[in-house]
Amino acid sequence: MLNFELGKYRKMVVAIALFLVFDLGVLVLSFAISAQIRDDAIDVNLVSRQRMLTQRITKTALQLEQRIKNNQPYRDHLLELEQATSTFDKTLQAYRSGGMVPVGDGKEIMRNALTDKNARQLLDDTLAQWESLREVLHGMLRANPISPNLAASVARQTEAANDRLLAATNNFTLRVQELAESKATSLRIVQVAGIALAVLNFLVILFHFIPNLRANDKELQRVKRETDNILRTTQEGLFLLDPDFRMGSQQSRALTSIFGSQPQPGTDFLSMMRPLVSPKTLDTAREYINLLLKHDVMEKLVSALNPLDRVEMTVNNDAVGVDTRYLQFNFSRVVEDNRVTQLLVTATDITRRVRLEKELKDSEERAQGQMSLLLKLLQADPVILKDFFKVATEALDQINHILETQAGQFENFASKVIAIHRISHRIKGDASSLGLQILEQSFHELEEVLVGMREQKNLSGEDLLPVAVRIKALYSNLDLIQNAVNRMSQIRGVVSVEPSKPPHDPEIGKQAFVTQWRNFVETLAQRQGKSVALNYQGIDVTALPQPMRGAVSSIVNQFLRNALVHGIEAGETRAAHGKSPTGSINIFISENEEGDIELSFRDDGQGIDFNAIRAAAVRVGRLSPEAAEKADMRTLAATIFDPGVSTSKITDKDAGRGAGLDAVKDMVRRMGGNIRVGTTFGQYCHFRVFLPRSKQQHHVAIPALAEAK
Amino acid sequence: MRLLIVDDSNIIRGKIARALGKYGLTIAGLETNGREAVERFREARPGIVTMDLTMPEMDGIECIRQIRAIDPTVRILVVSALTDKATAISALMEGAQGFLGKPFSEDDLCDAVGELLRGNHG
Repeated sequence: MLNFELGKYRKMVVAIALFLVFDLGVLVLSFAISAQIRDDAIDVNLVSRQRMLTQRITKTALQLEQRIKNNQPYRDHLLELEQATSTFDKTLQAYRSGGMVPVGDGKEIMRNALTDKNARQLLDDTLAQWESLREVLHGMLRANPISPNLAASVARQTEAANDRLLAATNNFTLRVQELAESKATSLRIVQVAGIALAVLNFLVILFHFIPNLRANDKELQRVKRETDNILRTTQEGLFLLDPDFRMGSQQSRALTSIFGSQPQPGTDFLSMMRPLVSPKTLDTAREYINLLLKHDVMEKLVSALNPLDRVEMTVNNDAVGVDTRYLQFNFSRVVEDNRVTQLLVTATDITRRVRLEKELKDSEERAQGQMSLLLKLLQADPVILKDFFKVATEALDQINHILETQAGQFENFASKVIAIHRISHRIKGDASSLGLQILEQSFHELEEVLVGMREQKNLSGEDLLPVAVRIKALYSNLDLIQNAVNRMSQIRGVVSVEPSKPPHDPEIGKQAFVTQWRNFVETLAQRQGKSVALNYQGIDVTALPQPMRGAVSSIVNQFLRNALVHGIEAGETRAAHGKSPTGSINIFISENEEGDIELSFRDDGQGIDFNAIRAAAVRVGRLSPEAAEKADMRTLAATIFDPGVSTSKITDKDAGRGAGLDAVKDMVRRMGGNIRVGTTFGQYCHFRVFLPRSKQQHHVAIPALAEAK
Repeated sequence: MRLLIVDDSNIIRGKIARALGKYGLTIAGLETNGREAVERFREARPGIVTMDLTMPEMDGIECIRQIRAIDPTVRILVVSALTDKATAISALMEGAQGFLGKPFSEDDLCDAVGELLRGNHG
C-alpha cells in the first residue's frame, strides 16, 4: 500500500496538481471544442447545401419541363430532381427529429435533432414551405410518363415556391451559423479562463512556493553547516550504526585521529574492530549491539556490559614510535516512531584517563610504600638513619658534582655514567640494608636509566638530563624522609641524646674489637635465650690511647651486659609487641678535633621501667617510698647508676648485683665526662657518654629523659 | 509491586530485601536456586524479579527463560558479578531488561529498580 507522507510539501504538491488539472482541463476543452466546431461546421455546410438544393430543384424542374415539351429524353433530369428532393427532405427531417443525412458518394452521417428553439422555429417554417412543394414534386416523380402539362404545372409551382423556400432556408442557415459561432465563442472563453487559471497557478508556485523552498534550502544549509561544524570540532568520534553493523556517512572528524583514517560510509564496524580486540570480545560486542537494537532492555541498565568500554590499541607514532592508546565506545539508541533504528556510537580516546587512573593506583601503592617506610623508620635506629642520610646526601652531592663537571674532565660521557652508577649502587645497598624500600627503588630506577645509557653509544650532555631529574627527586625524597624521622624523634621523645655521627665506613664493622663485642653479645644472648644483632659505626677503638681505650671498652661491655639482661626482651615478647624477634644494639663512637670521645649506645629493648626502678630504689633504701612516688623521671633515671640498684629479679653472672652501671658512672666521673640517658618504655634505651681527652672534671649529669610509658 | 529475589548468597538476598523493602516493594519470595524460583514465581506471580546467574540446580538464564514463558510482562533485573559479560548479555537476550553488577550499593539497586519500573528504554 502506498502511503506518502507529503508533510511540508503538501501545499506545493496540491498547487502543482491544480496546475496540471487546469492544463489538462484546457487540453480536454480544446479537444472538445475542436470536435464541436468540426461538427458545427458540418451542420453549417449541410444547412447551406439546402439553399443550393432549392435552386437545383427549381432549375431541374424547369429543365424537365423544357425536355418533356420538346420530347427530349429527360430521365437524367428526373433522377437529379428525385435525388435533390430526397436529400433536401432527409436533411430537414434529420434536423427535426434526428436521423441520417446523405453526404455524397452514397454515404450518410447521423445528425441530432436541433434543440435551439429559434432554429427549430425556422426549421418548422422551412418545413411548412417545403411540405406542399414536396407533395407536388412527388406527384410528378410518381407519374409515368410525365405529361408536358404536369411538368409545366410543377415547374410553375416550383418557381412560385422557390423564393419563399429560399428565404426560409436562408434564415434557418443563418440561425445555425449563429448557433455555431456562439458555441465556439463560449468554448473559447472557457479555454481562455482555463489557461488563465493555469498561468495564475504557475505564478503562485513561482512567487509563493519557490521563495519558501529557497528559505527552506537556506535553513537546511544553515543546519547542515552547524552539524558539519559540530562533527568537525567535537573531540569524540561520532557515527551512526545500522542494524547490519554498517557505519553511517555522517562522521565526526575526530574519528580520523581515533582510527588513523576516516572510515568509508558503509564500512562494517565489527570488521574495523577485529584487529583491536580478541575474537571473544568481538562476539560479545556483536551480541551487545544486537541487545540494544533488537531486545527489550533498559539502555542505562546494560551499559555496564559494554565490552568495548576500554579497547587497547597500538599505534605507530612518528614522534615516540609505538604508542599504546585506549579507546572507549559508547552506544546510544536512536529511536524513531518508538522503534530503535540505529545506534549512535561515541568513540572517545581515554588514554589520558587510563594513564591518570594508573598514576593514581601507582600513587596509592607509593603511599602504601611510604606507610611501610614509616614503619621501617619507626623500627630503625635514628642514629643509623641519620648516618645514612648524611652519607646519601653526600653521595647525591657527589653525583651532582659529576653531572656539573665538564665532560672533558672525564674521558667521555660514558665514564661519567659509570662513576654515577658506582655511587648510586653503593647507596642503594645501604638503603636496602635499612629496609628503606622506596629509596632503594628510586636508586634502582636511577641505575636502570644509567644501565640503559651504558649500552648507548655517542652519549651527549642532554642524555644525562633524566639522571639529573632523578637526582633532584632523590634529594626531595631524602628530605621528606629526614623530616619524617625528625618528627618521629619528637614524638618518641628523643631530644638530644644522639651524638654527632661518625663517618660511614662499612669496613669498621669487621674490625676485631667489634667482632669481640659481637661474640660477647652472642654469649650473653645465648645464656639469656635471646637473639641480638650488634651494629657499630665509628672510629677504630683500638687506636685510642690509654686510658681512653680501656674506659670505652669497659663502658661498652657494661652497657652490653645491661642491654642483654634488662633491655632487650625475649624473642616471643618482642614479637608480641610487634617488634622484630631479633633485638638490635647500635653503637657509635666518634672523636672530635680535641680528641674528646662521644659514645652512643642504643638498644631497641623495653627501655627503662620507672616503676621497677622506684621499687628497686625503695628496696635498697636509696629512696623512701614517698620520695620514690614523687621522684621525677630524671631523678629516677639517675638512680640506675647508683650502687646496688638493680631491677633484675635474678642475680646471675650477667646482672642483678646492681654494680654494672655504677661502675660506668664511676669511670666516667673519674675521666671528667658525663652521661645522658634517653628512653621510651617499651621501645628503646639510649646512653650517650662524653669522655674528654683533657683532665678537666665534669659532673656526671643525667640530663635528658624521654617520656616514659 | 511484589518482588521475587533469586540469589544463592544469603547476604545478597538479605541486602536486596532490606533495600527494596525500604523502597516500598513487597517481598514475594527469597529463593536460592532457579528451580525453586520458577515454582515460587508460578504461585506468587510477582511483577519484578532480581536474578543471580550462577546458581545450583537451575542457573539464572534457564530460570529467566521459564519465568518469561509464564509471564512475558515480568520485569527482570540480573544482579551478578561483572566477570563474564557474555553470559550476562545472554541472560538479557532471554528476556531480562536490566543488569546490576556485584558488588552494588543500596542506592545503585534502588536506582536500577526504579529505572526498571519506569520502563524507560532510552
